[in-house]
Amino acid sequence: MNLFLSAFFSGTARGAIYAIVALGLVLVWRGAGIINFAQMGQAMFTTYIASTLIISGKSYWLAFVIALIAGAMLGALIDLLVMRPLSRVHRAEALNSPAMKAAIPVIASLGILGLLQALAGMFWAGQERGFPAPVAIEGLIVAGRKMPFTAFDIFTIAIVALVLVLTSLFFRKTGTGLAMRATALNQEVAKLSGIRTTQVRVLSWIISGAASSLAGLLIAPSSILSPTSLDLILIIGFTAAVVGGLDSLPGAVLGGLIVGYVISFVNFYRSPEDIFLAILILLLIVLLVRPNGVMGSKQVRRV
Amino acid sequence: MVLWVASRSDVFKKNMIRALFFALGILLIGSFLDPYNQSQLSVALIIFIAVLSITLLTGASGQISLGQGALMAVGGYASALLILNVNLNLWLAIPLALLVSALAGLLLGVTAARLSGPYLAGTTLVIALAIPSLANRFESVFAGEIGFSVDFGNPPHWLDNLIGEVGIEKWQLIVTIIFATIALFFALNILNTRTGRSWRALRDHDLAASLQGVNVGRSRIFIFMVTSAFAGMAGALYGLRGIVSPSVYAVSLSLSLLTAAILGGIRNISGAMIGSVIIVFLPDWIEAVTSRFSVPTRISDYLPALITGLLLVATVVLSPGGLSGSIHHKKHK
Amino acid sequence: MTLEISHLTTQFGSVTAVDDISFTAKASEITTVIGANGAGKSTLLRTISGLEKPTSGSIKWSGNELIGLKPEAIVRLGVAHVPEGHAVISELTVAENIAMGGLFRRRKNRADLESASKEVYELFPRLEERHKQLAGTLSGGERQMLAIARALVARPQLLLLDEPSLGLAPLVVEQIIATVNDLCRKTGLSVLLVEQNAITALGVADQGVLLSLGKVVADRPAKELRADATLRAAYLGY
Repeated sequence: MNLFLSAFFSGTARGAIYAIVALGLVLVWRGAGIINFAQMGQAMFTTYIASTLIISGKSYWLAFVIALIAGAMLGALIDLLVMRPLSRVHRAEALNSPAMKAAIPVIASLGILGLLQALAGMFWAGQERGFPAPVAIEGLIVAGRKMPFTAFDIFTIAIVALVLVLTSLFFRKTGTGLAMRATALNQEVAKLSGIRTTQVRVLSWIISGAASSLAGLLIAPSSILSPTSLDLILIIGFTAAVVGGLDSLPGAVLGGLIVGYVISFVNFYRSPEDIFLAILILLLIVLLVRPNGVMGSKQVRRV
Repeated sequence: MVLWVASRSDVFKKNMIRALFFALGILLIGSFLDPYNQSQLSVALIIFIAVLSITLLTGASGQISLGQGALMAVGGYASALLILNVNLNLWLAIPLALLVSALAGLLLGVTAARLSGPYLAGTTLVIALAIPSLANRFESVFAGEIGFSVDFGNPPHWLDNLIGEVGIEKWQLIVTIIFATIALFFALNILNTRTGRSWRALRDHDLAASLQGVNVGRSRIFIFMVTSAFAGMAGALYGLRGIVSPSVYAVSLSLSLLTAAILGGIRNISGAMIGSVIIVFLPDWIEAVTSRFSVPTRISDYLPALITGLLLVATVVLSPGGLSGSIHHKKHK
Repeated sequence: MTLEISHLTTQFGSVTAVDDISFTAKASEITTVIGANGAGKSTLLRTISGLEKPTSGSIKWSGNELIGLKPEAIVRLGVAHVPEGHAVISELTVAENIAMGGLFRRRKNRADLESASKEVYELFPRLEERHKQLAGTLSGGERQMLAIARALVARPQLLLLDEPSLGLAPLVVEQIIATVNDLCRKTGLSVLLVEQNAITALGVADQGVLLSLGKVVADRPAKELRADATLRAAYLGY
């Protein structure tokens, strides 16, 4: 029973983190039509920034906030410097088959990932680092009994829950949130309603950037930080987004939790080596059986 | 089959001549190089074969795969196992490894045929990461992280007698030239014939193509099989440089291949060659420059990666057709 | 506040959809653009609202040159376009669709926006009843009303209406056209109405512009067009 509870709580905590990663991916997918494979590179980069601040004596929370801001700015930079020029080039180039149009931004994001990893290597000498947590990451003892979860698990779940509530309120109750939803659903009608769709797009990148920073900060304490340490998380986040439905924000959260539980139970009941295989199998099953994800909408192909 | 070959004899002849010129050209260049650069040239040729798989898959038929490195791994492990366990020499092992890769391509194609765009990209990336970890998972068969040691073997005696002592690097070069020429020949035949046209139709207007009777699903799968064979050949040769192990075929390999394809120009064969040469020799060129100044190691270590990433982003934004694409553009202005 | 179109040409590759069109839509009048399918009517509206780029010509609205402006900027100049077909966002509620139309004015004038919303609901009481429903669950006529409501909430001075009658029952069409007519006469809203249903359009319009294959064939007061039997037979089929 104890094993089950440990797996369950661990899965919830990890699932919460994957939900944030998936959320970031879905935001940029809906807002800009791109799968941002550089997302975890952004997370790695900003986590290094936070780590450097903490090592030089600044408080965890200061580093936390700065990492989020850095993430937001990095996201905006990527849109302004790379993605926006890219969409302009598209219309002019002869490479205009629909497949290439879809492939090019993906390749660009991979290039950015490589860039960020190389820069991280240069700035921080590719140093592997630990990362502190604001609360203990080892066992938690309450009333004399060892709990199947840690204080950090609770912290993670609490922060993610808070972020999700805020995000949900933002999208449902604010004008900007409505503008973002409208632009993602039907860009033309949004434009005709006076919505500045380019601003909306940058905003998607900004929020997604901050989200990926958050994910990086939450993952770092339980693993090493190195230029390539977060690559695996990208795959997991992608799978989570696909499982939940690339078009759906609530789907991203659900997908994250599902993947979190799958990984956790495989980790606890079988072995860490099998995690990869499990992810691959999960991804393939979803793509073959229900490609639009659990909460995705059916897309009609326009002839 | 014979009739089919005969009816295309003109095109075949032209392509065969092109391929032979290529082989002779590289051989000539190679004879002027020192052993290190001969070895680098071999690697460039191997990468060229792998990049051809991307040129055919993405450039010609519009499907994106970020996992060609994984298919190289399949070829590499297959040939290593055949050489070590079944005692075949490389001339038999590599074609067989090719077939195994084609099989893997079949599996990949069956999964991928229904996917497109981001789903295809992401899934192939997952596969690229999964394959090396599979080698760790089934350590008994695949020797885990350590992997297998294989090599090109020694040049045959008659060659030594013919042209004098052939060094290891030169032998490596000769072997890779042979396979690269074969690959080039097949690539030319695919691209410049009706097959190529139907692949391009698939890329540009798959809906229209299917309405015209092209079995889109089956064609896609076939394309995956063929391009996987290319990747597998490259992977087998790549492994023969010394080691077949998960780290040899890591994700970075897949990304390097993609970078080479884009840099050189994803739509044609010369692009594949240009890109492969750049990707392989760039670190050397960079080192030649940085060794003049005293650059701290943490910068010089990551400089190739930085420049590669920058080149990739710059190419995609400024000239998605790559170097060969922009030359082509200028010629036809 | 007139809309002056001069020598406007819009091409798609080798197809010239709008061919050297010139006419003026007078302020506070209903100008209808009629013609058969493929005459270039929709492209004309899309060029005015900034969704399509013209090859040459000029569009002047209240003295402002519209060509080269983004759709968002043109909306802010008081021009509202209700495109044909999918003019509402099905996944949002009625209330959200209407709110969307007023978003860009929110910061400047919240109070006015609220009263504009109220007015729009008074104009289309059916929408008020269903304001919490998803737009995708509305009937065709209700969706058209919603599309118009979305445009009106921004208090435009020029309304570009693209084939409001498409796919709707005659009774519903009458209702909608009557509402738009009312609006024009009471508030001075200028309307550029594109319609295939020439009878209905000419019934309420002040001026009629007849298009055929992208060119202007006639630009006359609606009364005259209604009376001209030869023209009607040749281009409008009745």
